Amino acid sequence: MSGAGTLVARPLLANISVGDHVLVRFLGFNLDADLLWSTGVAAVVTIVLGLWARARATSGVPGKFQLCWEITVTATQKQVESSIGPRGAKIVPLALTLFVFILVGNLFGIVGLGATYDVLLPPAADINLPLALALFVIVLVHIASVRSRGIVGYVKHYLAQPFPIFLFPFNLFINVVEELAKPITLALRLFGNLLSGGLMLALLAYLVNWRLGIVPVGGILFIVFDPVWKLFDLLIGVIQAFIFALLTILYFDTAMSDVH
Amino acid sequence: MPIATSNFLVPNFTIVFELIAFLIVLGVIGWFVLPILDKMLTERQEQIRSELEAADKAKEDAEEADTERRRALEDARSQAREIIAQATTTADQIVTGSEARAQEEYERIVRSADAEVAVARQTAVDEVTSKVGVIVLAAAERVVGREIRASDHQDLIDEAIAAVRSESEAGAPAGGTR
Repeated sequence: MSGAGTLVARPLLANISVGDHVLVRFLGFNLDADLLWSTGVAAVVTIVLGLWARARATSGVPGKFQLCWEITVTATQKQVESSIGPRGAKIVPLALTLFVFILVGNLFGIVGLGATYDVLLPPAADINLPLALALFVIVLVHIASVRSRGIVGYVKHYLAQPFPIFLFPFNLFINVVEELAKPITLALRLFGNLLSGGLMLALLAYLVNWRLGIVPVGGILFIVFDPVWKLFDLLIGVIQAFIFALLTILYFDTAMSDVH
Repeated sequence: MPIATSNFLVPNFTIVFELIAFLIVLGVIGWFVLPILDKMLTERQEQIRSELEAADKAKEDAEEADTERRRALEDARSQAREIIAQATTTADQIVTGSEARAQEEYERIVRSADAEVAVARQTAVDEVTSKVGVIVLAAAERVVGREIRASDHQDLIDEAIAAVRSESEAGAPAGGTR
């Protein structure tokens, strides 16, 4: 959740704001320490889960943990196979890692009591991680497109459609806008959902201070709605991780397809 | 540590470290985790496929054995029917032969008995016949009160014997053989 760093440092009655981070200086650059902390934890957790699965992997009857990994791997492979075909086999590690890494980070939203007491904000609730992932994916998509179509085919793709070739300036404009929109929408979709989920938790935590006389109305509402929203947030986290991985596969499918 | 407020839609240099963190995770998952899981999945699929093939083969064998068992059972039933039919025929033949032999034996015994009866009756008649003359003479002597010589009254004796004979013949059963 963007702004969790602020809420950690401020009193309960503080205004809820976004874009506030604990800063550290590194090589003359400002770094968001709280975001790096949660991203690092998400990376370590993902790696540990992966290596644990590797250590316990068996070709016999799998345990529940291995089964979860195998279901995820199989679903990713099937999605890539149905969208791109055998050529897309190299996409599987990327799509799988995106899904697991984003999912692990998104689950941080349900850790803690919300906002003020959070020590791990979901890393995707800040624009840096979603944008980094989206840009990385889009760069790879364009590389795959060039390798699949060749330079001429790649350029022609932007000039010769959707209108006839003599209208290539319009075609180029439309396609460039579309290509620029891809990483932005990919990043903002994930970031916006996670940010809004975090803000809702912050609002619920802010309710604790609302009293009517001696009746802690806000506290009661918090106790009721905080678990409900966290369950909802958990669902949103899974869905958004899935959508990010799915869109990545579809972008590769579009880039590697022969149909322009 | 200082808290800074910035435009939440504008990334900063943190994006580089975010990307580095993801690339590390991607490297570990892509090189160390996914190949192993993929290998395990492939091995299991291969194992399941071979087990399915073995199960199909076993099913075919079982069906073949069942067919063979049914065929053997049908053969056995057919043989049993033939044996029963043959036994019935043999039994009929035996019964028919036994009845014929029994009838023959019965008739032979009856014939033998008839012959014996006839011989015995003839013997009895002969004995009676030989004694009738004496008895007649003795009875006549007692009636007339004097001695009667057989030579003198041969006619009378012959009449008595003839009478005995005719009575014995009249007393024999109808048909003469029983």
